[in-house]
Formats: sequence, structure tokens, C-alpha cells
Amino acid sequence: MAIQATSSIYIAKSVSDAVSALTDQGPSAELFAGGTWIMRAPLRQEKERHSYVALSKLPELSVITVSENEISIGSCVTHAELAEALDGLPDMHVLVTAAAKSANPAIRRVATVGGNLSTVKFSAADLVPAMLCLEAEVEFMSEAGIERMPLGDYLHRPAGAARVMTRVILPRSEALSAHARLPLRKAGDYPVAIVSIAVARRADGLIAAARVAVGSVENVARRWQTLESAMSGLALDPHLIAGRAAELLGDFRARDGIEADGWYRLKVLPTLVRRALETITQQ
Amino acid sequence: MSLQLDVNGEDRMFYGDPMTPLLDVLRNTFLLTGAKDVCREGFCGACTVRIDGVPTMSCLRPVALLQDSKIVTIEGLGIEGDLTPLQQAFEDHDAVQCGMCFPGMVMSLTEFLGRRPEASREEMKEALVGNICRCTGYERIIDAALSVRLALEAAE
Repeated sequence: MAIQATSSIYIAKSVSDAVSALTDQGPSAELFAGGTWIMRAPLRQEKERHSYVALSKLPELSVITVSENEISIGSCVTHAELAEALDGLPDMHVLVTAAAKSANPAIRRVATVGGNLSTVKFSAADLVPAMLCLEAEVEFMSEAGIERMPLGDYLHRPAGAARVMTRVILPRSEALSAHARLPLRKAGDYPVAIVSIAVARRADGLIAAARVAVGSVENVARRWQTLESAMSGLALDPHLIAGRAAELLGDFRARDGIEADGWYRLKVLPTLVRRALETITQQ
Repeated sequence: MSLQLDVNGEDRMFYGDPMTPLLDVLRNTFLLTGAKDVCREGFCGACTVRIDGVPTMSCLRPVALLQDSKIVTIEGLGIEGDLTPLQQAFEDHDAVQCGMCFPGMVMSLTEFLGRRPEASREEMKEALVGNICRCTGYERIIDAALSVRLALEAAE
């Protein structure tokens, strides 16, 4: 008896081949990289797509290059590869922590950068706030050519375009950074709140500019611009700034979820701000 | 769709949906039931196998992407009928209780100890973050893993 396949997966031979396959198959097709989100669709009672275009065998999407001015990260680089490659770069501390502490070792060896940034429904993605505070840009290839946009814009993109993320570009800076997350267990589950911070200091030690991003609190991670403004010119005092953060919690409309209610996500934010800043002061 | 897979050094054929998780192929088609079907979302580690030497949650890998890979399950470790040093250590330390998590524990720890034989107790715990045990409290598991390391050092 012949066994009928109900889905198909096309293994792309190049990025342009993947773009063509996506275009040909139309909106029913979806990109498949690490697959750690897609393979769990049945558990979320989501309707499964039936055609996939796999990127995982494309070496050109797995390259990390580090220069004085920027870092380029291929979209199929895994969390584990990212953490290892950027370890020791002072301005990338936030991203190394995000990549090295998310999920668990086996997931980190499979889950990709592009997948983490592209999974709109995954509010607790660690790389998103980390890369937002590093002012990341993302690059795509589509039938129209190469396109580049700020990560913050990408997170609110319209769905359905036949394009393949090729890489993420991070500008280098002298800012120090840190990533604080609160999972309910010590490790291995989704954080209920995430704070990523990058701070540049003036010669007198006061804060020249701060970039703060918050993940897992609202549906989509975003910068906390009122806190960034409030931090400008202050001393790098974790308790002082955590106090300012507590006054600004009204900026968020926190989501309720199975692992935590919205009020709890908000309540822990000032503590995470303080912890991230304490990490920065120790660097 | 038909796929040829290398499982524990043997060529095996699979006929079916290409998005089928490797876990289901191992258990339902090849009747290799050492990898356990528990959370199916990459949290528990009970389905861990090695794919090209790397411990991987088999519940999250579609079989179509594994045609050129070498898959090793708990059944393929060591010599048939004999225990590996780590498996023997688990038995010696009475670390196994219900047994649901242990195939995954062994697959993760075997690779980790091979790569990091000098690992500390804390590092071993960190390596096992993705392998959940609800019986033992982990300490005896770590004791067993450390004993393998100490036995290797003594042999040197």
C-alpha cells in the first residue's frame, strides 16, 4: 500500500533558489530553518502548513564576520555558534548572553538567528531584545533584489512576502551591554520578562546614551525609549535607574500568558533593569 | 515519499510524510523505542539522539532533512549486550528510577563527557539543562557522570 505524504519540504540549493521556490509556491509555503518553532505547531493547535522551503543546508547563511565597524551574522547561524563566535567582544556581551542562555543546549545547537527574529508569535525570543538594543539591521533577498531594514521595522512587517533573510548586521560601538532574563526555573524554559541594555558613558562616567529593549512583556519586543531618555546624563547607578524604571512601567501593556500574568511581568522589570546594569558595572 | 536513513550504522528506508519527526520514525517505523516520546517540544530531552555526533531532540527534526546524516540512538551506543562506562556508572550509583529520561541523559552526557572530560559538577549540570528528570533530583546522575571522569583519570 502506498503511503501518502501530506506535506512537502524543498531543500533549497542556494538563497536565490529558496526565493524562487517561495515565489513559485505562493503564500502557503513557509521557510524552514532550525524548525524548533514550526515542529511544535501541533502542540499550539495551529493549522500546519503543507509546504516548506528548507534553508538549513546553505553554507552562505551560516557565516559570521567580525570587523571594526560591524558584525555580520548569517541568518542560519545557530544560537550556539553565535555565542561561541562573539564571546569576549565587550560590546556584544548582551548578545552572547542571550544566545548562550536561551532554551537549552540541544535547542541552541539547532535554533537559528533568522528563525528567532522571524517567529512573530514567539514573544519570549531572547535574541530580539538583545539585537534591538544593538541597533541591528536585517537584510533580505527577494525577486526584487537585496533589501535592508532596521530590526524594529522588521518586527512589524506585513506577512507573506516571498523573501529570505540572509543576514543581520550589527554596528560596533564602545557601549557596554548586558542581558537580564527571568525564567521561572533556573534555566530551560521561556523567560517571563527580558531586559537588554547597552550603555555608552561620557568621559566623566555619566551616561551619554542608553539603549534599552524589553522582551516577553508585550507580544512583540521593543525599545523602552522613555527609560532611555531618563537615563541620559545619570550616573550608572543600578538602584537609581531601577527606581526610574519602576516609575515608567505604565509604558507597557503587558500580556497575560500561561506562565505568568501581565502584572507579574511588569513587576519584575525594574529588578531586571537593575541586574543588567549591575552586570555592566562589573565589566 | 521514500527516504534512506543511516540509523546506528544501518541503512533504513522510510516511506511517508517528509515532515514526520525523527522520533516518530524511530519509534513507530523502526521500533527503536529507546528515545522516549514525552513533551514533543524540546524541553524534556527524553527523545535525544545523536545526529552527526550532536545530541539533538528527535521530536523537532523532520526526517526529510536527515538523508545525509548519521543517526545514533541509545540502542546504537557501545557494544550490543554490554553497557557503556556511563551506563554502568548509572547502574552502580543506583541513579536510574523510572527510566523515562535516561536514554536522553545518556545521549547528552556521553557526548558532553567526550568533549569536556574535565568538566566540573556545575558545568555538567549546565549541560543537562535540557534533560529533565522528575524522579532523582539529579545529584546521583551527576555523581555517576563524575565517577566516569575520575575512573578515566585514574586509568591515566
